[in-house]
Amino acid sequence: MPGYKLYYFNVRGRGELSRLILHCAGVPFEDFRFEGKDWPAIKPNMPFGQVPVLEIDGNKMLAQSHTIARYLARQHGLAGQNDWEQSQADMYVDCIYDMHGTMRTPTWETDPVKQKELFDKVNEETIQPHLEKVEQHIIKNGSGHLVGQGLTWADIAYYAFFTTPIMTRLGGEVFTKAPHLKKLIELVGSNPNIKKALSSCPAPNTKLINGHCSTEWNAIYYHIVM
Amino acid sequence: MVHYKLIYFNLRGRAELARLVLQHQEIVFEDFRFEREEWPKYKAGTPFGQVPVLEVDGEPLAQSNTIARYLARQHGLAGQNDWEQSQADMYVDCIHDLIGGTRPIIYETDKDKQKEMFQKFLQDVVNPHLQKVEQQLIKNGSGFLVGKSITWADLAYYSFFSPMMERLGEAILDITPHLKKLVAHVGNIPQIKKYVETRPKTAL
Repeated sequence: MPGYKLYYFNVRGRGELSRLILHCAGVPFEDFRFEGKDWPAIKPNMPFGQVPVLEIDGNKMLAQSHTIARYLARQHGLAGQNDWEQSQADMYVDCIYDMHGTMRTPTWETDPVKQKELFDKVNEETIQPHLEKVEQHIIKNGSGHLVGQGLTWADIAYYAFFTTPIMTRLGGEVFTKAPHLKKLIELVGSNPNIKKALSSCPAPNTKLINGHCSTEWNAIYYHIVM
Repeated sequence: MVHYKLIYFNLRGRAELARLVLQHQEIVFEDFRFEREEWPKYKAGTPFGQVPVLEVDGEPLAQSNTIARYLARQHGLAGQNDWEQSQADMYVDCIHDLIGGTRPIIYETDKDKQKEMFQKFLQDVVNPHLQKVEQQLIKNGSGFLVGKSITWADLAYYSFFSPMMERLGEAILDITPHLKKLVAHVGNIPQIKKYVETRPKTAL
């Protein structure tokens, strides 16, 4: 088994998908989290001055959050059963990446009234039209999963996106027209490895908020913008 | 023989990397382009209401990088092993971030503000990235970003930086002589050169 060290801030953000993939696959790894004040010392050693970074066996470094997640998914059987399924999974994860982008503005808004307004706008313009399409695709696929017959990192990516603190707080109605996706997300959440991993917090200065390890700061903000 | 239909606006935009992969490997494909006014006609038929879409024997695949990665993997441009494939993915993600960074600049209507935004983007985002890429290229040693031969990652850097150099001058890559050499090399590959000379001339 290779030695994995995942470098990221002590938040969910762009590191969480890789963490969930590793937990789900039951693969041990060093979940190296650091605070903002420690970042300047770490930054110069990162391939592109950014995190997350996956260090393998102490000597190879891989950057870019989705590249890391895809690599781990492929190495540990969560990427899809053939080239086509792997590409379908890639496609769904790219959709989540796009939605992360649109959620940035509401996430960083500190006025709760304005935040709800911004969230509702993103929900109406981006999330709902997308979920309408995804719901059709899940029904057509027939297994309950996004891709193929079983769990892939695409399912985990949707789980990660739709269980963030802001989504949990404001997105109660988000699955009204997407019951199959709602069921899939609940299924991922009930995966024993994921449940076990999220039942305790790996780092100091974190606590369980809405069932996920977060700093106080991250409970309000969705993810860090670097 | 698989039938590919690549569906996108009549622009380079987010389809150009897939086109370059296909052109480099000399794969025959249907390069289906439509004008902006025609988009409402095609939107509902796409998997997520967006383009590009690649139809593979009629089955649709969406998302620009997913499409280009699928084609690269099917046709030997993705890297020689899992690790190289991930390295290539990583570089293409970097270009994806740079493309995202140009969008607010492209949409800025005030020309002076646009120029200022672009300078800031070059200084704060592009140049630091180029410095890192230069180090990685030197370390890799083959002249290519990944492994010993061309991958879709090299095409992605060519696709992003070549039009920029045309518009702003070749000096923008002076801080990264190895990447500058790589971009020139890609541009001189016969099938790429021919394609670029004959492709529709579009603003984006």
